[in-house]
Amino acid sequence: MTRSRRTAVFIATRLASVVLTIVGATLLLFLMVRLVPGDFASVMLGPRATPELRAQIVHDMGLDRSLVEQLWLFVGRAATGNFGEDVVSHRPILDLVLEVVPNTLALAFSALALALVVGIPIGVIAALKPGSWLDSGLALLSISFITTPTLVVSVVLFLVFAIGLHLLPVAGAGNPGDIVDRLQHLILPSVALALGWVGYISRLVRAALLDSLAELHVRTLRAYGVSEYRIVGLYALKLALVPVVSILGIGLGDLIGSSVVVEIIFARPGIGSLIFNSIAQRNYPVVQACVVFIVAFYILANLVVDMINALLDPRIAAGRG
Amino acid sequence: MAISLRDLSVDYNLPIGTAHALRNVSLDIQKGEMLGLVGESGSGKSTVAFALMGLLANNATVTSGTAIIEGREFDLTKPNATAPLRGRGMAMIFQDPMLSLNPVFTIGTQLIEVLRRRAPDSDRKTRIAQAEDALAKVKLSNPKQRMNQYPHELSGGMRQRVVIAMALLSEPALLIADEPTTALDVTVEAQIMREIIGLRDRIGCAVLLITHSLGLVTEHCDRISVLYAGERLESGSVRDVQRQPGHPYTRMLFDCEIPIDRERHADTAQNRFTVIAGELPDPRRRPPGCIFNGRCDVSFADCAKVVPGDYPVAGNAAHGARCLRLVTP
Repeated sequence: MTRSRRTAVFIATRLASVVLTIVGATLLLFLMVRLVPGDFASVMLGPRATPELRAQIVHDMGLDRSLVEQLWLFVGRAATGNFGEDVVSHRPILDLVLEVVPNTLALAFSALALALVVGIPIGVIAALKPGSWLDSGLALLSISFITTPTLVVSVVLFLVFAIGLHLLPVAGAGNPGDIVDRLQHLILPSVALALGWVGYISRLVRAALLDSLAELHVRTLRAYGVSEYRIVGLYALKLALVPVVSILGIGLGDLIGSSVVVEIIFARPGIGSLIFNSIAQRNYPVVQACVVFIVAFYILANLVVDMINALLDPRIAAGRG
Repeated sequence: MAISLRDLSVDYNLPIGTAHALRNVSLDIQKGEMLGLVGESGSGKSTVAFALMGLLANNATVTSGTAIIEGREFDLTKPNATAPLRGRGMAMIFQDPMLSLNPVFTIGTQLIEVLRRRAPDSDRKTRIAQAEDALAKVKLSNPKQRMNQYPHELSGGMRQRVVIAMALLSEPALLIADEPTTALDVTVEAQIMREIIGLRDRIGCAVLLITHSLGLVTEHCDRISVLYAGERLESGSVRDVQRQPGHPYTRMLFDCEIPIDRERHADTAQNRFTVIAGELPDPRRRPPGCIFNGRCDVSFADCAKVVPGDYPVAGNAAHGARCLRLVTP
């Protein structure tokens, strides 16, 4: 088989597994939501609910049908992108979710980009002279970043830069039409979300880089007079990025999780705050739709990660990695 | 004289103490000649190579040694003394071709990297053409296609050819081949040696072949140096040393070789291999007298007290050995 053929097969297999994973996760999710204690209708309506209203809501939600029927309806609708109508706002749930998804994606990707841009150089610098004062100092810095909870970072940034110094906007996501305003609103939440990842990525890059620098092909390059900068910054780094990217893929779930905290503190509309508010209202259909989106995002992100790794390391595409 | 190594001594700082890996080892290699450096594992063969290249591990210290390469003298006790020569006057072929190429870069990229150093002014097109040409010269089929392949798509023997092509591109005055065929199939060994000899003849460089295989040395080398526990015990032309080993260790090494056509017993337990009894001395504490005394089959009283010098064998100044028997009537 030629290399391009192998790559095509690799991508096709991965795509098939993506579809299966999304279907499996959705089914699991559906059953888990049904396991949550308490009756949705009575939580929604409170103690003063009349039996007629209850019956109305239960019927609107489709809760009077059998579990198999509900599952069938949910999967059938979800597959066509229809998650039903929100009982609270009487708007399609899909619209509610799609409205806030861009905000969360902007937050997650700017935080990720920030973490990579700052974290990779710190890791490379630390790996240049392992055991030096600089390395120890950067280790201390990275570990403090990792161990400080996002909640604490968010509150401190919020108090210092938004409320204390009035440098950056306090809350929200900014005016929809004003790109500068939106970017200004993005700075503090991204930094808050990225900080732990800066530490995490720099430690990962350092460790992976030291591993690849210990490999024998580095000695070959040295024997042929290749400069240490090219060896570390190009030849060893590309190899070191493979494990870093893999772990990033797994960590993206955590990134979305932390964004719940950040979105609430900075009062940003987003998937995180939507889930939080919906849980508070016991509005499980909306929670369910949000989580389907997060699952899809996570799985797609991991697909992208696998593709990036296949590009970085040809042995992965060849099935030998 | 192309290459001369004088009085190389290397220590390794280990948690258990300082190991003296090499003591005053000297070598001379003429242009166009191949010197075989033989010795058992732990004798310090590879340390010679890495000290010359300046690629010793961090815990190694060169305590003495100078190298004269193409008329220029290098003080090896200074770190990175020979760094200017890497890729420009010295090249190296390594023991394990499966590990000596970067797995995530193409063969072409790694060959062109050598040219970036060797010919900084040439343009990319010229470099690609030169790299393809080098692959063709080491008899790798479809050089154009190979350029875009990754190391994992090539066999061990093919990868070693790629490393030889790298050496070829760097046009060295000294080529060090550190056990270049040890990790390869025996059937590939002869081909790889042929390519190394082809490279030497093409460039006219001196070759230091580090090996534990006397067979390779007697077949391909002009001269031989025998290393034991960090000391050079014998050196001379392959023919002289083979005909009349000056040191008992060299004689015992030749006795260990198994002729391919030797008669074999049907009962395999009956087959006997000749081995040299005993073990290498502790590298931290050199025993007094001759370093080989503990394992020698012809030692006498003085061997435990007197450190032998380098004496000519059979009156031949080009063939020397460190054995007291040579000067004891």
